[in-house]
Amino acid sequence: MIELENLTKIYRMRGGWDNIVMQNVNLTLPARNIAILGRNGSGKSTLLRMISGTEDPTSGRVRRHRSISWPIGFRGSFHRELSGLENVRFVARVYGQNTEDVIEYVKDFSELGKFFLEPVKTYSSGMGARLAFGLSMAINFQVYLIDELLSVGDARFQEKCKDTFHDKMSASKIIMVSHSMQNLREYCDCAVLINAGKVWFCDDLETGIAKYEDLNKSAAGA
Amino acid sequence: MYRSLLIQLRVIFALVLREARSRHGRSRLGYAWTIVEPTALILFLTLMFSQFRQTTGPGGSFAMFFATGILPFQMFRNMAQYGSHAIIANQPLFNYPLVKPIDALIARAVLEFCTALVVMAVVLGFQILALGAPMPYSPSRLLLVLGLLAALGFGTAICLAHSQKVFASTNNVFAIIMGPAFFVSGVFFSLQSVPETFRKYLVWNPLLHAIEGFRWAFFPEYRNPDLDLVYLFGWGFGLIFIGLLAYRLMRKTET
Repeated sequence: MIELENLTKIYRMRGGWDNIVMQNVNLTLPARNIAILGRNGSGKSTLLRMISGTEDPTSGRVRRHRSISWPIGFRGSFHRELSGLENVRFVARVYGQNTEDVIEYVKDFSELGKFFLEPVKTYSSGMGARLAFGLSMAINFQVYLIDELLSVGDARFQEKCKDTFHDKMSASKIIMVSHSMQNLREYCDCAVLINAGKVWFCDDLETGIAKYEDLNKSAAGA
Repeated sequence: MYRSLLIQLRVIFALVLREARSRHGRSRLGYAWTIVEPTALILFLTLMFSQFRQTTGPGGSFAMFFATGILPFQMFRNMAQYGSHAIIANQPLFNYPLVKPIDALIARAVLEFCTALVVMAVVLGFQILALGAPMPYSPSRLLLVLGLLAALGFGTAICLAHSQKVFASTNNVFAIIMGPAFFVSGVFFSLQSVPETFRKYLVWNPLLHAIEGFRWAFFPEYRNPDLDLVYLFGWGFGLIFIGLLAYRLMRKTET
């Protein structure tokens, strides 16, 4: 269970204006697999980052009662100058894991071969995604935050991700941002909808998707 | 509370290890430069001054006098300058919720401080053991001054890092300031030897008090009635306070 209490996020923009991403949001997210829906720029990733704690709210707070991953995205959260190995070792240390076990797992999972020792900046986006996914699977969390990850990589890698992920989901939940309704339908059973600074919870995924499509239509019509 | 402190220590430790690897490039010889740089400067100043000055001043040798100026000066400069880039250089790592920008600032401060301590030990230790220079007069004074100097360096680094976010040219301006700072911080003169007319302006410089304080700890006969460690303390912890305040406020409205 994750509680959002009076959550407000306002970005102070370069031009001197305030971008109000969300204002006074009160919401309790159940321990279920949740899809986050919203149009481009509506604040899906911002919400994900605030849930994880990488970003502080302007006011209000997030109460976390379970262990939550970092936002796992295809861009990865890697330091480009460091090698895959060094990045993995750093994260293992930060999370207090057995460094060698984590390195071994990720090395095996990501199939990067010699590239594992090269700086991340030399990786293709697919290789970065493989490393990101492998690393996040090496550490056990009760909730995984996924930002558009599962739609990247070749077909074989996607299959492998799905298998690993389905195993994880017997013990863990996910909160997922994706533009692919197919992906969301596969993993999620309820939804959070963000629009114009407001956030709703939908108990049923299909209701959420229907509402989201209404939003898109009204935006296209306007 | 205890648990989160433990996590933060773990994170800072991981950051120190990661920074230590990349600080001086990939080569293992990189760290040799931290010794070579002050040594070359001390040699240069010693050779230059011994040509046209007869008295060596406190410490019994020019080399010792310059070392006790250059080493604390470089400790401050490295902590401030290198430390101020900690946030930008580690940006991708803040995607892990446990890793906060403040941890990166602390990690760089720790690394630079420890590196400077080792350099001090090597350079001063060499002069004490091989050249017969005196041992530090008061180790407790030395600890106190090093602590205050570290606070000044860390405080400057946090303030610069946040000022950089608002004024993009902050680091350029600071680099320009650090040039003249070498000449007005008592690196190669003692405050006592400066005429009153100039001295009353020089004492506003907190770094000068750190360097004077360093020599006050090192040489028993070092006279400096203008030394004001409370003033240095005020600057160091004042800057840390302002920096942490900016950190708190800016994190609420930025990505």
